[in-house]
Amino acid sequence: MQAVISFKESGGRATLDPRTSILSIFVISMVMIGGGLSGVEYWLRLFCCLIPFVFLVTVHNYQFAAIYLGLYLFSAVIEGAVIQLTSGGWNLLFVIVAGIISRFLAPMVMGYCVMQSTTVSEFVTAMERIHVPQVITIPLSVMFRFFPTISEENKAVSEAMRMRQISGKKQSLIKKMEYELVPVMMSTVRIADELSQASLTKGLGGDIKRTHICEVGLRIRDYVLMLFLLVVTVLFVVY
Amino acid sequence: MKNKLTVKDLINIGVFTALYIVVFFVSSFIGYVPIFMVLLPVICAVVVGIPFMLFLSKVHTFGMVTVMSIILGFFAMLLGRPWPVLFIAVAAGVVAELLLKIKDYKSIKMAIIGSGVFSIWMMGMTLPMFFGYREPYFESIRAGYGDTFADTLYAITPDWMFFVLIVLCVVGGILGGLLGAAVLKKHFKKAGMA
Repeated sequence: MQAVISFKESGGRATLDPRTSILSIFVISMVMIGGGLSGVEYWLRLFCCLIPFVFLVTVHNYQFAAIYLGLYLFSAVIEGAVIQLTSGGWNLLFVIVAGIISRFLAPMVMGYCVMQSTTVSEFVTAMERIHVPQVITIPLSVMFRFFPTISEENKAVSEAMRMRQISGKKQSLIKKMEYELVPVMMSTVRIADELSQASLTKGLGGDIKRTHICEVGLRIRDYVLMLFLLVVTVLFVVY
Repeated sequence: MKNKLTVKDLINIGVFTALYIVVFFVSSFIGYVPIFMVLLPVICAVVVGIPFMLFLSKVHTFGMVTVMSIILGFFAMLLGRPWPVLFIAVAAGVVAELLLKIKDYKSIKMAIIGSGVFSIWMMGMTLPMFFGYREPYFESIRAGYGDTFADTLYAITPDWMFFVLIVLCVVGGILGGLLGAAVLKKHFKKAGMA
């Protein structure tokens, strides 16, 4: 959870341009979540599953690539065979498990790959190039920076609750929600204040355009992937 | 009152949108039971009202709620919902913003109503179940989730249900707003944070 949704902290240039990456997340999630399991859409889905796999292999994350492939094979077997063989409650259970895996895994892994290979400043710069206003980019980058913080804070709250032996079982749902949510909200407010002070000292929000040293630009691989994605989109919309 | 969004405002938007999305997703796990899948926006609206009210207590500048709704709209599109989602979200955001603006972002009553109006954006999440998207969506559900799930869902979602859900959403949002206001009063006023 923590690593999935936060940007890379530093390092070399991203494998793909952020613009291509975002486009590919959009297309993959459109096809994977909305698409059916028959005809052309089946092949489109297959193609879309392969993009994150190839991405994982190119960034030398072989272990993750293998797990990814395994999960997809598993859900393909279930969707292809087991669903037809079972019925009733078991069917519902299998359907849900396989459905979650086959629908949401590819977009999530793609998102993970993008986040892992892109730095915040690359993201912001690329957004600037396509003229997305600061009003959108700043909240977005803060948001992604903040997801792991929330899960960290939540963990700390649960630990503190366990230490004081306030176990969740006895309380009603509302009480539990209050005990968990209020402290997290408290620290959210505090962290938001600290973050804005920190970014003010870094000169965000001045009238002068900020400079940066990261390289952002479309390369051949970006154009190739974009072309493929365009074909996929057209096929998906037409059929 | 300032008229331009400062960096502090933008960071507040980012932070609270993140919290909002997390709470939204945690509460939407109930959605895998077919009946709850329809009622999902309503349940989420109640829970999400709490962080939203805290967010509103930080809003002093025109545009903050709108920006949040734009981000949420994009997020919904990223999850594979059809594009009108964005318009629904932004429209809900702007209306809520205008309502808040009337009282200069100071009235708790307006904030509660605003929370109700804002939660209409979640209707976009259920949009594929209705109108023109209905048949292809159910076909894909049938293929992906199996007959049992699809039939149950199909039976409880005729088109008029969409409008019922809008009303329920607003009610849920208002309930969430009330709950949020109570939480704010109980915990945050005391600590001087709201």
